[in-house]
Amino acid sequence: MIGFLEIRRRKLQFALVGLIVTLISYLVLMINGLGVGLNEQAGRALRNFDADAIAYSDRAGLSVIRSELSAETVERIEAESGARESAPLGYMAVNYTRNDGKVKSAAVLGYDPGTIGEPPVTEGRPLTPADADGLLADRQFLRASGLKVGDTVRLAIRLQEREFTIVGELNEGAFFFQPSVYMLRSTWQEMKYGTNAPGTPVASVVLLKGDGLAGKRGAGWEAVSKSTAFANIEGVSGQQSTVQALQVFGYLIGGLVIGVFFYVLTLQKTPQIGVLKAVGATTGFIFRQLLVQALLVALGGVAIAVPLAWLTNEGIKQVPDPVPIAFTTGTFVTTSALLLLMAVLGVLFSGRQVAKVDPIIALGQQQ
Amino acid sequence: MSIRLKVENLEKIYGEGERAVHAVRGVSFATEPGEFVAIVGPSGSGKTTMLAMIGGLLTPTRGTIEVNGRDIARLRGKELAEYRRQKVGFVFQANNLLPYLTARENLLVMARINGSDLKAARARADQLLEELGLAARRDALATELSGGERQRVAIARALMNDPELVLVDEPTASLDSARGKQVVESLIAEVKGRDKLGLMVTHDMAMAEMADRVLEMHDGQLVAHTVAARG
Repeated sequence: MIGFLEIRRRKLQFALVGLIVTLISYLVLMINGLGVGLNEQAGRALRNFDADAIAYSDRAGLSVIRSELSAETVERIEAESGARESAPLGYMAVNYTRNDGKVKSAAVLGYDPGTIGEPPVTEGRPLTPADADGLLADRQFLRASGLKVGDTVRLAIRLQEREFTIVGELNEGAFFFQPSVYMLRSTWQEMKYGTNAPGTPVASVVLLKGDGLAGKRGAGWEAVSKSTAFANIEGVSGQQSTVQALQVFGYLIGGLVIGVFFYVLTLQKTPQIGVLKAVGATTGFIFRQLLVQALLVALGGVAIAVPLAWLTNEGIKQVPDPVPIAFTTGTFVTTSALLLLMAVLGVLFSGRQVAKVDPIIALGQQQ
Repeated sequence: MSIRLKVENLEKIYGEGERAVHAVRGVSFATEPGEFVAIVGPSGSGKTTMLAMIGGLLTPTRGTIEVNGRDIARLRGKELAEYRRQKVGFVFQANNLLPYLTARENLLVMARINGSDLKAARARADQLLEELGLAARRDALATELSGGERQRVAIARALMNDPELVLVDEPTASLDSARGKQVVESLIAEVKGRDKLGLMVTHDMAMAEMADRVLEMHDGQLVAHTVAARG
């Protein structure tokens, strides 16, 4: 009650404290959001594969770029891995020209309709085996290119260029830091190798579904879990270390600032604590008031910071070349809980000081 | 309500060795229920230190303070807080109201601390504010009150939990003589009407003469013990 009334009556002081908590929470959330965004940019499409493991050529060093599988190897993977379901998948990077004339790259994934490699379409229709010149485009690709379902786009690789019609929209995310588009695997093979002739590689990797597949290997192939595959995306491991360091420092410094802030705020109340003790308040009673106050202010700050971060994310999404930023419910929950915990810890650390406050200070002076 | 206080050989020494200061030296006295006692003496004579020890704010170096036969000098922690909360009403010289609370809320804090029924506490707070001429100022913040009003709120706060022991440190310092007299009369009425015990530290001899007895202190010692003419 006393803590709550003090907040009500000292609006400016507590608004400023709340502002600090809001800004710190916002900063920590944004650092986390940028980290998650970078990870998503690295390969959300890979994480979204409807697979438990991914098989590579054993000479590729778990690089999708360098992995090339022959028809025989794909057959061996399907036969030897013990997977319940499987789907060969092709990858290549292509260029396309945006409406503003800028040349951009996109990740092309070639799949077979009806297999686990087929991505779910959010708008338009899926590809059929007859859609040799059809394309499914991720919404990030459509936003970046300014195109929409029904438009045509020219994709270029080396000296070839081919026109495709976008028949469906996806929400599978980026692949290898590029917006993704999906086409038929036969088309991918033609574009990447210029031919469908026997002996031409038929896939880059094979998606596998089943139990205990990660770690399996056979002649010419090896399978790993999706998380291992993600970590082996070129540049991802270094990026993840940086992102994790940023997150840890964000939590640590943000948490400490908030904790120290509430600690100092409590110490400033020493004269009032002395008076309360002099009139018979126990340390526990005073402590509860301080705790309620810290929780209310921290909750207020976090309650503003969370929607603010979410709105920032929504705003950033609207620009054509957005900064990679993404939020998960987990990010919001973890960050909010941690910052609230640090506010409480700040008060807890001041607990000893509260216990040590001598009620004699209420007398103002001794004679 | 019938409180007896017996102070024996009370001593308070601040510091140690050559730096030791004897604030109170071997003070002994006893009171009867319903008594209002004034403690006078020059600054530094130890009267506030003695009041603080009786109020459980300071631990004596030596001696006993028996309140209804219980030596409160030995109490610590929660027991001491309980003694201050339930037995003592302390009016500080610097009034020490919580600045962000209204006059009424400052009184209700006592009920919160004591875990008392809030409805009854509100009625009690309003009654005390009325008696002390503060009914119209009950919703004013402590910072909006004049010095005299703050002191009267502090007195009301001290009486809020109906304490048996009312300890008052220079209650009239910020009041004009007429208001000071009125406040001391209210305190005396409260003490006598409920068989409580009032101890008032004051420099104001006019106020001291309103008490039943006057204890005079000098250099930490009780040097005179006068029964007031009106007592």
